[in-house]
Order: sequence, then C-alpha cells, then structure tokens
Amino acid sequence: MNPLSLLFKKQYAVEEKVQRLLRFLEDMAHLYQAAFESYFEGSFEEFSQRNHELGEIEKQLDELGHQIQMTLLHESLMPNSRDDLLWFLTKLDKVPSSLKHSLGDILFEKPEIPDELHSSMKNMLVHTHLAVQALAHATDSLFSDLRSVRQHVEEVSRQESEVDNIEYKLLQMVFENKNYELAKQYQLKGILKQIGRVTNLAEDVADTVLILATKHSK
Amino acid sequence: MNDPAIIIFLIGGLFLGWSLGANDAANVFGTAVGSRMVRFTTAAIICGIFVILGAVISGTGTSLTLGKLGAVDALGGSFMAALAAGLTVYWMTKFGLPVSTSQAIIGSIIGWNLFSDSYTDISSLLKILSTWLVCPLLSALIAAILFTLAKSIVRKVSIGLIRLDGYTRLALILAGAFGAYSLGANNIANVMGVFVPVAPFKDIQIGSIFSISSIQQLFLLGGLAIAVGVFTYSKRVMMTVGSELITLTPLAAWVAVMAHSIVLFLFASERLEQFLANLSLPTIPLVPVSSSQAVVGAVIGIGVVQGGRELQWHRIYSIVKGWVITPIISLLVCIVGLYFLQNVFQQTVKRESQYQISSGVIEQFRKAGINTDELDALSGSVFFSSAEVVRAVEEIVPLSSQQGLKVIEYSLRNSLGINAEKLSLIDENFLSQQQLEVLKKLEGEKYNFSWQLGNALSQKSKEWNLQGGGLKNKLKDREIKSKLAYLYRLFKE
Repeated sequence: MNPLSLLFKKQYAVEEKVQRLLRFLEDMAHLYQAAFESYFEGSFEEFSQRNHELGEIEKQLDELGHQIQMTLLHESLMPNSRDDLLWFLTKLDKVPSSLKHSLGDILFEKPEIPDELHSSMKNMLVHTHLAVQALAHATDSLFSDLRSVRQHVEEVSRQESEVDNIEYKLLQMVFENKNYELAKQYQLKGILKQIGRVTNLAEDVADTVLILATKHSK
Repeated sequence: MNDPAIIIFLIGGLFLGWSLGANDAANVFGTAVGSRMVRFTTAAIICGIFVILGAVISGTGTSLTLGKLGAVDALGGSFMAALAAGLTVYWMTKFGLPVSTSQAIIGSIIGWNLFSDSYTDISSLLKILSTWLVCPLLSALIAAILFTLAKSIVRKVSIGLIRLDGYTRLALILAGAFGAYSLGANNIANVMGVFVPVAPFKDIQIGSIFSISSIQQLFLLGGLAIAVGVFTYSKRVMMTVGSELITLTPLAAWVAVMAHSIVLFLFASERLEQFLANLSLPTIPLVPVSSSQAVVGAVIGIGVVQGGRELQWHRIYSIVKGWVITPIISLLVCIVGLYFLQNVFQQTVKRESQYQISSGVIEQFRKAGINTDELDALSGSVFFSSAEVVRAVEEIVPLSSQQGLKVIEYSLRNSLGINAEKLSLIDENFLSQQQLEVLKKLEGEKYNFSWQLGNALSQKSKEWNLQGGGLKNKLKDREIKSKLAYLYRLFKE
C-alpha cells in the first residue's frame, strides 16, 4: 500500500469522489447526444428512456456533489483551497443542470425539427459532447496535474467556438426560411440556444478551472 | 537545589521564556495558524515539543557566546538580567514597538557588566551585533532562493490541487517543527543563558548511556517555560501575524518559515560549525538571533523575487529601530533593577571575586600569547573585578579581546582542595576510568587557581589534555572543559 495514501487519506477520498463525479458528467454528455439522435430518428420512446437515464445520473451526481461539499466543509482541507473548491463545484453543477433542462424542453414541447437541420444539429451536439468531455478532463487535471489544465481548457474553448459557429449558421437557416412560421422559428431558436448554453457554461467553468490552477501554482 | 530563593530568582528567566514562547511561536506557526491552514492545538503541541528538544539538545552553543559577552555570576544578577529583558520585551510589545528577546538580553548583560564592573568582550559583542544585520539579510537570501526553487518545482511536478493542499499542510507542519527546534536551540540562550554560570542543578546520570547535565536541566526548564508561553498566549499573536501576512500564498508561507528556521539553525548548530571547520570553510558564529527579524527578512526576500512591489519598508525601518532601542532600554532597566536589588533588597547581584597576578599566572599569560615582558610589575597585585584586572594589564601591554578573557580566566582566584570526601561524590560514569584514576592521585593537593588543577591533570594524563587547534577540536575540548568546570565546582573550598 502506498504510504502516502495513509497519510493523505482525506485528500485521496475527495479526489476519488471528484473522479466519480466527472465520470457521471461524461456519461450525461454522452446520453445527451444519444437522446437527441433518437429524437432525430423519430424514436420518442428511446429519447424518453435516455432522458430518464440522464435524470437518474444527474440525481447521483447531485448527491455526490453534496457529499464532496460536506467533506470539504467538515474535513481539514486548507481554507484557501476549500473555499476555491466549493466555489468551483457550485459553478460546475450548472453544466449537468443545463443538459437536463435542454432535454426537458424537448420532452415537453416535442418540437418538430426539420430534416434539413438534423445534420448541422448533430454536428453541434458532437462538439457539445466534446466540450463537456474536455471540461471533465480539465477538471480531472485540476485534481491530478495542474500543468495540463491549460491544454484541456483551450480544447473547451475550441469546441465552444465550433458550437457557436454552427449555432449561428443554424439560426440563420431558421430565420431565413420563409416556410417556417414565426412561432416555430422562435421554438427552434430556443432549442438551439439551450444546446449552445451547455458549451457556454462549460467554457465559463473551464475558465474557473484555469484561474484556480494558475492561482495554486503560484 | 537547596535554596528556595533559587526558584524565585529563576522566575526572571521563566518569565522571559514565557514571553518568548508567546511572541516568537507566531514566527514559526503564525501564518499557518492565522490563515487556518494548521489548527492551533496541532501547532502548539508540535511547537512545544520541538522547542524543548531544540533547547535541550542544541542550546549550548549560543549560550557559550552569551557567556563570553558577560558571565553573570550570581543568581540575583541573572534574575535581574532576565527580568529586565522580559520587561523590555513586554513593554515594547505593549507600545507596539519592534521587539526582540535576543537584543533585550544582550542589553541586559552589558548592563550587568557595567554595573558590576565586569569585562565586556568586545569581539563577542561585535560578533553578536554583526549577526543582527546578517540574520535578516541571510534570511531574505535563503527565502529568495528557496521560493524560486519551490515555485519551479511545483510548476514542473505533476500534482493536483487537493494533493498539493495536503503536501503543503504537511510541509508547513514539518517546517514548523524544524522552526520550533531551531527557535529552542537558538533562543534558549536568551532565556537561560544568564543562569548558565550559576546553574543551580546537579548533573544527572542514568546508567552509562543517558546523562543530562545541569545546563541541560536548566534549558529543559526554559524550554518548558517557552512551551507554556506557546500554549497560553501565542494564539492571539499567531492570529495577528497570520492576518498581517495573509497575502502570502501557502507556498510562500512555507518558504518564510523554512528560511527563518534555517537561519536560526545555522546560528545555533555546533555540529554544522564543526562540519564546516573540518572542511576548512568559514564557520557561522553561534549567536542567539532574532526570530522576528529572520521571518521579516524572509518575507522581504520573497517580496523581492516577486518584483519588489510588496517590499515593506516600514518593517525594515522597524528592524533597524529594534537594533538600537531594545538593547538600550534593557540595559537601563537592568542597571536600575540591579541597583534596587542590591541596595534596597540586599541581594547579591555579583559574586565577590578576587583576581590575583602571580608569577605562575604571568606564565599562563605567556602561554596564552600575551607579551609578559613588563608584567612582573603587577606580580602580587590583587583586583576585585574582571574589568579592573584587564584594565591594569592593558595599561602595560595591549590585549586582544580573546587575551582579555584569558587574563580573567587565569587570574581568578579559586581555592580548591582535593579530598577523599569530595572524590567519593564523583559520578564514575561522568569521567573515564583513566581520568578518574589520575584525579585520585591528586588527593590531598590544594590549589589557588582553577587552571592549576587543570594543568596538574593534563600533565598526568593525555585524557585531560585540551587539543586546541581552533574549531576543529572544539567539541572534544568542550567535553573536557565541562568536566573540568564540574571539578572546579566540586572541589571549591
């Protein structure tokens, strides 16, 4: 047994919980993309199933996040690091929430998404998935290798730019198409904005990760 | 320790120890505790234990330097010197002025020297004064180097935030333990150094392995007083220091404590001194230095590395002010206190000593390298203070500071009688078999000066020979000197 693991039992325990939390986040990003694909294929039942699974993981992620916060509050981490981590976890929590809300809107509204948008939207979802994955890697690096945080954060930014570009083009397509009613145009805009919001939040959290990594490397 | 008055007299030193613990523990754990990186209880326990260990194991070196500056030879004098230093520290802290126990006790000792007309060894004084300047500068340099190294290591090593937090906390605790050890080793001389010449305890020997000398017992008591100061009063000071230096990152805090501890250790370690001497490298004088100034120096060093924007000039000014004000106040308080203790409370603040110059003494002077060509004129003269005998010799022949100390050592009268009763009191484990046998051969002899017994023993056995040769044999010679000092006390008539 690694003697350090005995000496730093509390730290290792927090690290292990954070790892689990990040795996949940990655699973959610995967399910999010898969759920949309099912929807595009017209399988609403499969979409509902994916949405349910995502909700279940989000519950576990919430519970785990709460456990980590309690550990940080009660165990003896240094106040400086503890406050930073609590602040970070609160921000990180917004990403899974945004995934859940995005699917929630589809579930209630059951919008009709025109076929000509599917390809670009699928591409947008691939980049969204990659952005969340890069965020998970950046966060993982914050807890394992501060030096490599920057490269993952840059990857999040890159994916966010891709999503932004696709979102802009999709919005143009939606509002330039005179066959769509105004209500439909605004409904589609809402859905696209919700997907775009996921990567915006991911970029925001990634920036926080970079700030913390820089601060604690000083 | 038969006289209960001794306890009262020791209170002066214990008070000084308490105030040192209350104030200076903050230099070791202030940043960590004040910014809640380490719990106060954890810090206090570690600090208490390591201060005592440092004092008992490594406290001798700095005490001997203080002893050279002025050997306070009566308990009343030691009490007042320690009390004056303690009061100075207390008052200056109360008025928010920069404070250093090291500087206070130096002022007190010089005050006692002036009051008792005792010789002040100028070379020791200059050595001490120079370290006051060197200590913060060295601390700043070490901190700058350490900070640069530590920063580059943290950047290169693959480590995460939580583990970095754990490592930093452990590093702070270890640095604190080292700091507390160094504080005990370096600053115990401030607390108990003035009591060393009049140490009221007997050496304790348990079997042939474990022994604790009277000086170590004294230091243990002083260490306990410092530990009590840490537990009872240092929390408030730690919180203040912690919030004052809150801009320090955990890494910078660790560097500050390490640099402070290294400096205190460098100025206290006899082993290091011996090691450097063996390599023919210049040695570092063993002198009590100011813990507060070491830590401020370290913070300044870190500030310089970070671009110098955070340089705290008012703190540098405080250091310089402390060099001047603290010893002067302590000196004055000590002189006034000694006057009252001697004339109002009728206490002995200085032992009545006679310094006699005889042909044998002059011969000893010659062996010590003093030009004795015209000293015969002083033969038969008796003096009643160390300063007086040095002045008399200096009127005839110029003396170096070291020679001044030799004049005092050889001319001090000390009637010794070697008798069976006292020989039976000697702890056989303290002396080697050969040393004891040689000593027993001197039964019935009487001497007027301590060095006469030393010479007699040295002539009969190499085991009593001082090696000389400077620092290289310092530790071996110190052991023989401590045995001789024990014999001089034992056979005194």
